[in-house]
Amino acid sequence: MSATTVPVTPVRATLRGIAARVGLLGGLGVALVVILVVSAGTGQLDVPADQVLGSLMHKIGLDIGPVPTHPQGENTLWQVRFPRVVMAALAGAALATAGALMQGVFGNPLAEPGVVGVSSGAAVAAASVIVFQWTFAGTWTVAVCAFLGGLVTTTLVYVMSRDGGRTEVVTLVLTGIALNAVTSAGLAFLMFLGDTQAREEIVFWQLGSLNGSRWEYVGVVAPLAVVGLVAAMLLAPRLDLLALGDRAAKHVGVDVERLRMVTIVVVAVLTAAAVSFCGIIAFVGLVVPHLIRMISGPGHRMLVPASALGGAVLLVTADLWARTAVEYADLPIGMLTSLVGGPFFFWLLRRARRTAGGWA
Amino acid sequence: MPAAPRIPATGVLALLLALVLGGCGISAGGGQGGDEAATAGGVTPALADVEPLADVRDWEGATTAVPDDRLEPVADDPEPALPVTVTDSQGTEVTVTDASRVLALDIYGTLSRTVHELGLGERLVGRDVSTQFDAAADLPLVTQNGHDLNAEAILGLDPTLIITDTSLGPWDVVLQMRDAGIPVVVVDSHRGLDNVASLTREVAAALGVPDAGAALAERTQAQVDETVARIEAVAPAEAGERLRTVFLYVRGQSGVYYMFGEGSGADSLIEAVGGYDVAAEIGWNGMKPLTDEGLVAAQPDLVLMMTGGLESAGGVDGLLERLPALAQTPAGQHQRFVAMEDSQILGFGPATAAVLDALAVGIYAPDAAS
Repeated sequence: MSATTVPVTPVRATLRGIAARVGLLGGLGVALVVILVVSAGTGQLDVPADQVLGSLMHKIGLDIGPVPTHPQGENTLWQVRFPRVVMAALAGAALATAGALMQGVFGNPLAEPGVVGVSSGAAVAAASVIVFQWTFAGTWTVAVCAFLGGLVTTTLVYVMSRDGGRTEVVTLVLTGIALNAVTSAGLAFLMFLGDTQAREEIVFWQLGSLNGSRWEYVGVVAPLAVVGLVAAMLLAPRLDLLALGDRAAKHVGVDVERLRMVTIVVVAVLTAAAVSFCGIIAFVGLVVPHLIRMISGPGHRMLVPASALGGAVLLVTADLWARTAVEYADLPIGMLTSLVGGPFFFWLLRRARRTAGGWA
Repeated sequence: MPAAPRIPATGVLALLLALVLGGCGISAGGGQGGDEAATAGGVTPALADVEPLADVRDWEGATTAVPDDRLEPVADDPEPALPVTVTDSQGTEVTVTDASRVLALDIYGTLSRTVHELGLGERLVGRDVSTQFDAAADLPLVTQNGHDLNAEAILGLDPTLIITDTSLGPWDVVLQMRDAGIPVVVVDSHRGLDNVASLTREVAAALGVPDAGAALAERTQAQVDETVARIEAVAPAEAGERLRTVFLYVRGQSGVYYMFGEGSGADSLIEAVGGYDVAAEIGWNGMKPLTDEGLVAAQPDLVLMMTGGLESAGGVDGLLERLPALAQTPAGQHQRFVAMEDSQILGFGPATAAVLDALAVGIYAPDAAS
């Protein structure tokens, strides 16, 4: 991770460390709460903030505040908007954490589920569910298949891009290109096979969208995301040791290969959580961990939880914009994140080349 | 893509989305006010009043068929007998207790027209993009960007009953409406001559007006039978003499075009207007992109199209220039295209007889239509 740290003076480093540890998580937590409230109170159907709060209070049994006056206000909040906002937070947290983990385990600043093709691998599996109408696991079918697809692609990326204990930037990016080519061909083929309805679903899905999030789906995504996030926190200290290099990590008692395999499974779980109902939302896992590192440094114990919070903030904000920017329209959220994330990726690529002293 | 220099940002986004979404399904072009222009030019005269061509192949040039789409409700605001419990086309049991605020949404605008013809038009509170007849054109739109349902827009209208089919998505939004406790009746999403009457009855049953439904279904069926018989009289009797007809769905200038085959409604349409269905001959199912060589091999004499699609491809000249394969067919050589408004041509329902009649005039008496 040396590629992503900037040399600083000891005093600044100390100050920064304190500020980060005390303030960052708290700040992000507050930001998340604020954006959740703002997002829950904003939409096509106008429900004033006090009524949103009142509706929440009444739901938990407190008779405080006004209830929505619009006849469908209550339903809009509870059946449409809240599940969507919760879904955005979960997906954002899952993607950002998956990105942070991948960057740690690959020792490479450019690793991210979207960029290296893990998201689209999961997407191919999920699109197969749509086209062939598999239902072996009920609502969970898509999630299970997305997990398997994600697992296969993550493992492939790992096996193909590692050489002599490290993953070079160029190899990783090229592996990503190759995988994305294969998976997009797979998606194109599935679109050809599918009927009109399946085709529209796949397109909706390729661009990523949180439209149509229901509690039933949140019920699938939430456990996956929570399991993945908890596992990521548990892995974080050992990822710090891994950053010292494989040999050093082994010397202090880390089972490096096992750590890598476990991390890959966790990445697949997190990616599946995000992809199975929201489609491909790229670059969240890239942008968020890097921004966090700029503030708090590369330590995973800070990076993982902060990325989870930051990812949630980012995606809830992006989704708020996606559903309100154009009246009555839902912009594909994957398009928005790529629009912002693409240039960021480019900048990162330039920087990685400079600090690493070349393309290797 | 040649874009006008000053399109506002939202316009560009909408355009991008339209391009993306339009490529993968049917896109009722509407919303640009295109059909006012078409109707202003006058309604195509009735087949009974015109002189058909002596030889159906002896004509050069494209025509636009404009059906007489005046509404004639079978009843005047009949009182729905509620509550009513219906089993919808997906087997879901739905109980309707209030039909005062209705949304009838599908890709062709057929359902909202049916509600109007049942005499309950006043109860509609919103519309889909294909519902463009005058009486409903001012209602708020709940499908932006083509055919995407917007959950909050729908809930904002506080409907007490939603009648829809599976042609609009995302399906999850329909499920959200059920979660919100709004009765959602899903009717048959197939459109064709074979189920016009049953579709009408399905809609009427959900609204609690089965008698008006029976009357409308009967009237529609009688009109369709009459029109089909009249068309049979002018169409060539021998199958070999009939015009080899294809329904092409063209959108934009990308050079991608779909041929509509069995089950798309186009098969039913071609048969009803007395054409020879090329798609059936080659066993073409549903709506799929056609290759250039496939088009040349099909050798159609006549192409049915949507007006909006034809315009978006740059009119007849633009289309022939862009699709050289089409120029290699008899239809291309003689510019035998018959176009009709996107929201009407495949919208089997109460207006079907008028649609068939206008298309027949466009095909068999093009001098009267153009």
